[in-house]
Amino acid sequence: MILSALILVPLLGSLIVGFYPGVMSPALSRLVTIGFASISLLLTIAIGVMFDLSHIGLQMQDFLPWLPDLGLNYSLAIDGLSFPLVALTNLLTVLLAFNSSVGLKPGEDLKRPRLFYSLLLLVNSGVIGAFLAQNLMLFFLFYEIELIPFYLLIVIWGSEKREYAATKFLIYTALSGILILAAFLAMNWLTGAASFEYGAIDTTDLSRNTQLVLLALLLVGFGIKTPLVPLHSWLPDAYVESSAPVSIMLGGILSKLGTYGIIRFAVGLFPETWVSVAPLMATIAAITVIYGSFCAIAQTDIKRMVAYSSIGHMGYVILGTAALTPLSMVGVISQMVAHGLILALLFYLIGMIESKVGTRELELLSGLLNPIRGLPMISALLILGAMASAGIPGMVGFVAEFMVFQGSFSAFPIQTLVAIVGTALTAVYFVILLNRTCFGKLDTKGAYYAPVARWEYMPAFILTIVILFLGIQPSWLVRWSQVTSDAIAFVM
Amino acid sequence: MTQTLEAPKTKIPPSTHPLAEIIYRLEAGGTMLPDTPENLMQIIGLYKAYAVPMDFYWRDLLYIAEQVFLNPLPWSKYFISDEYLDRENKYSGDNADLRIWRGCGDAHPELREFMAQGELKKNLPNILHHLWHDRINMEFAEECMRSMLWHRDMYKPWNQFDGFLDTDEYKQNCDRVIKAYFKGNPAMLGLYKLFPDMFYEQCRQMSYYSNLGLFWEVMAPVFFEMSDLYDEGKMTSVPAAMDFLVNGIFAIAGRPIYHHVYIKGECFEIIPKSKGFTWLYEAALPYVEAVFYRTAPFRGTKSYNAQAGQVPDSQPDFHYGVLYADKFPVGTAGIPPTFLAQDMLHFLPDYLVEYYKQHCRGEGDTIVQLAVSFQRSMYCVTSAVIQALRAALLYPLDDEDPEHLMANRQFFEAQMDRFLRPEARIRDIQSQEYR
Amino acid sequence: MPNIVEIAVSDDRFSTLVTAVQVAGLVEALQSPGPFTVFAPLNSAFEKLPPGTITSLVQNPPQLGRILTYHVVSGKYTKADLEKLSELTSLEGTTIRLNFKKNEVKNATAVLTDIEATNGIIHVIDNVILMGP
Repeated sequence: MILSALILVPLLGSLIVGFYPGVMSPALSRLVTIGFASISLLLTIAIGVMFDLSHIGLQMQDFLPWLPDLGLNYSLAIDGLSFPLVALTNLLTVLLAFNSSVGLKPGEDLKRPRLFYSLLLLVNSGVIGAFLAQNLMLFFLFYEIELIPFYLLIVIWGSEKREYAATKFLIYTALSGILILAAFLAMNWLTGAASFEYGAIDTTDLSRNTQLVLLALLLVGFGIKTPLVPLHSWLPDAYVESSAPVSIMLGGILSKLGTYGIIRFAVGLFPETWVSVAPLMATIAAITVIYGSFCAIAQTDIKRMVAYSSIGHMGYVILGTAALTPLSMVGVISQMVAHGLILALLFYLIGMIESKVGTRELELLSGLLNPIRGLPMISALLILGAMASAGIPGMVGFVAEFMVFQGSFSAFPIQTLVAIVGTALTAVYFVILLNRTCFGKLDTKGAYYAPVARWEYMPAFILTIVILFLGIQPSWLVRWSQVTSDAIAFVM
Repeated sequence: MTQTLEAPKTKIPPSTHPLAEIIYRLEAGGTMLPDTPENLMQIIGLYKAYAVPMDFYWRDLLYIAEQVFLNPLPWSKYFISDEYLDRENKYSGDNADLRIWRGCGDAHPELREFMAQGELKKNLPNILHHLWHDRINMEFAEECMRSMLWHRDMYKPWNQFDGFLDTDEYKQNCDRVIKAYFKGNPAMLGLYKLFPDMFYEQCRQMSYYSNLGLFWEVMAPVFFEMSDLYDEGKMTSVPAAMDFLVNGIFAIAGRPIYHHVYIKGECFEIIPKSKGFTWLYEAALPYVEAVFYRTAPFRGTKSYNAQAGQVPDSQPDFHYGVLYADKFPVGTAGIPPTFLAQDMLHFLPDYLVEYYKQHCRGEGDTIVQLAVSFQRSMYCVTSAVIQALRAALLYPLDDEDPEHLMANRQFFEAQMDRFLRPEARIRDIQSQEYR
Repeated sequence: MPNIVEIAVSDDRFSTLVTAVQVAGLVEALQSPGPFTVFAPLNSAFEKLPPGTITSLVQNPPQLGRILTYHVVSGKYTKADLEKLSELTSLEGTTIRLNFKKNEVKNATAVLTDIEATNGIIHVIDNVILMGP
C-alpha cells in the first residue's frame, strides 16, 4: 500500500490546494504543498529503509484488478531502476515547493500560486505513478496525465514565447504518446497476452521484423521525451521559456520518463532486438552528446546553454543503455539521478541569478562573484554545479559518467570515445559560462542587486550536499540499482 | 545637477566640451561634485572617517622613514612607538605652528581606542590584533607612497624633490646615513659596497615615506576641522568645503618637505629643510597626480593584460586612481583601497552609519557605499586642487578680461579632458543613484 | 643711484616684500652686482594671499626664499626687452610666462615698469606669482 500512498498523497494535496473552496493565502498553499511533498519524501525514505537490496525484480507490489477483461489492472511495484528516480522526483518536488518564486524578475510575485502548487503536486503524482506502474496501460495513463499540467505550467508561468514553446511541447509529447500507445496495444494484441501487465508480455515469439517495428515505435516515442537528436527541438524552447521551477521539473523529472521508458520497455521487453539496434543507438547517443555540447557552446543565454547541455548529458544514458553491461547499467541509473540533481541545481541557480540581476544574457552578466555587491554564494554554487556537470571527480556527475564510459567502452569503443570528447566540450561551455558570469568586473552602472536571503539558498545547498555526498560516497547511489541493473544486463 | 544647466551669460562663448556643464560649475566657483546636502554629508563624513586612520598613517610613515629606515627585516614597522603617537601635529593642538584643527595635537582619541581594542573590542596583545588584521591597514599608505615613487618625474620641473633624489648630493647624504645606520654590521656594509644603487633606491623609497607622511600630517587636521565645522553647522555647502580646502592648500603651501633619519638619537639630514622643498610643489601636487589619477592597476579581482593593451604604454596615461576606480569589487586581499575602506569603516560618523543602512544592502555593503562616498569626497578635494591651481597660476573667476576668462576656461577644459576616458567616475557622481 | 634693496626699502609699498627678503636672508644676494631683473609684488599683492600663507612661509625661510627667487631673473630686462620675450628663466630655476604687450607677468600685471637700480631693474607687479606652467 505504501506505493499507492506515494501516488495518492500528492494527488490529494493537489486536489486540496487546487479545489479547497475557502480562501487560501499563497503562504498557506505553499505550506500545504511543502507538507504533502514532505510526506511523500518521508514515504520514500521509508521505502528506502524497507527496500530489500538483494532482491532481484519487483518489490512491494500493489495489485488491484480493474478491468480484467481488457487486461487492465492497477498494479504497482518498485525495483532498483525506479526507486532512485522516485526519490529524485520527491526530493525535487519538496525543494520546488519550498521556493517556487525562483527565477521571477526582481519585485515580481508568483502569480496564481494555488494553481501552480496544485499542478506541481499533480505532476509529482503522475510521474511517480509512471515510475511505479507495472501495467502498460496504467503507465500510459500516468504518462499522458503529465501532459496537461506541464502544458499549463509552461503556458501560464513561462516567459514571452511561452505559447509557442508550450504548443511545440504539446505536439511533440502528444506524438510521443500516440506512438507509445500504438506500440503497447500492438504488443498486447500481437503476442496475445492475457493482460497489459509487464510480466505478461513476451515478445520472443514475434517475428524479428515485427519486433523491430514495435521497438522503433517505442524508441521514437521515448526518444522524443528523452530527447534524442534529432527529436529534441522542443526541448530548448520548453526549458528556456518555462519559469525556473518548471524547467527543473522538465529537466529533472520529466526527461527521466523517456530514458526510464527506453530501459523498461525497449530493453526490458525486446532484449534481443535491442541488442541488434544497440550500435545504432550508441551512435545516436554519441551524436546527441556532441550535438548538445556544440549547441551549448554557441549559446548566449545561460539557461539555453544549460538546456543544451542537458541534451548532451542524456546521451550518456542512451550510450550506457546500448552497451548494456552490468557496469554501464549502474552508470545509466546513476547518471539519470545525477543529471536530475545537477540540472536542478543549475536551473535553480540560474533562476536565482535571473531573479536578482534580471537577465540571463552572457553579454550582460559579469563579476557575480563580487563578495559584497555580487551574488557570491550563488556564483560559488554555480561553479560547483558546473564542475559537477562537467564530471569533475568528487561529485556525483563524475561517478555516473565514469561508470557509463567504463561500462560502454568494451561494447562501443568509438562511440564511447566520442562521448568522452563530449565531456571535454562540457568543460568548454561551462568555462565560458563561469568566466563571463562569475568572473570579471561587476557592472558598476547596474549592479544594485538585492541580496539573496538565506532561505533562498536552502534548496541549492541541499542539492549541493546531495551531489557532493553521492560523489564521495557513490555506493549510496549504486546500492539500490546494482541488483536490478545486473538483472537487466543479464537478460542478454 | 542642481546648478547651472545652461551656459552662464559671460563674455566668452559657450564651451563645446562634453563636460561643459561641470566646467560652468567650476567657473561659477563650484566643484565637480554637485552641491547637495546629501553630497555634503557624505564627503564630510568620509573626511572624518579618513582623517582618523590618516592620523595613524602619517605618524607611522614618519616613524618608518625616520626610525625604522633601512632595517632589512622591518617586522615591527607597523608597531609605532609611543613617541610618535604622542608627537604633536604641527597643525593641530596647542603647540601648533599654524593651528588648523582646534583639537589635540597627539594621536586622535578614537585612533587610540581602536588601536587598543580593535574591531573585536578586546584588549588583546597588539600582535594578535595585527595578525587578525584587526588594525589600521598601513598597506594602503605604503601603496600610495609606492605610487609616488613609481610615477617619478611628475610635475617636472616645478617638483624639485624628485630630481634631487638622483643628484650626487643626495647620494652623498645617503652614504653618510647608510654608513652610520649599519655601523658594526659588516654584512650589510659589504652588501652596500657591492650594490650601492640598491641602497640608494631604498633610501629614495624612505624619502617618499617621509614626503607622504609630512603631506598627510597636514591633511588630517584639515579634515578634522572640516568635520567639526560641519557638526557645528558652520559648513553648509560643497563649495564651502572646497573653499576651506583651497585656503588650506595655500596656507600650508610653504610647509617644508624634508627627510631626517634618527640613528641612536642623532639626526641625519638626507633631505634638509634648507633645500626649500615645499608641501604644495613637492608633496601635494605629485600626490594628487599619483594617487588620485594614476596609481597602478591594483592586484585583485580584475587582472590586467598589458600585452592586450589593457595597461597604457606611458605612465602619465595611467588611470587607476580613486577618481577612476571601480569601487564595487572589494574584500579581496591585495586591493589597497579596500584596506582603506576597511579602515574608514571603523570611524564612520553615526549619521553616515544610519545613512548607509537605508540604501542598497544596508550594513551588508556599507564598505562599498562608503568607498563610493569616498570617491565623491576625493572629487571635491581634486576640485579644490584645480581651483587652487587656477587661483595660483591663472585669473580670478570674476576677472573682467575675456582673454583671462578664456585662459581659465582652457585650463578647466584641459583638466576635464582627463575625465573623458570611460573609466572616469565623474559622470557617475553627478547622480545620487551611484552609491 | 640706489641698488635694488635700497629702492625697495625706501618705498612703503614694498614693506612686506622687504620683510620677506630679510627673513629669507636674500638681502646680501640682492645687493650683489647682479645685474637682476626683479618683479616686485606690492604689499597689496601679499594681502591677496589666503590667511596663513605668509605665516607658514615666514616660519620656513628656505621655502620663502624659493618663492622670492622666482620673482628674480638674472640679467637686466627693460620693458622693451620683455615685450620681445614669451618667457624667462627665474633664479628659482623654473620659467616665468610673460605677455608684456599687455604688461602681464603670468597672472600679475606690471603696474609700474623700468625702475632702474645700480644692480638691475625693478618692475612692480600686483600679484605674487607662483611657480607653475
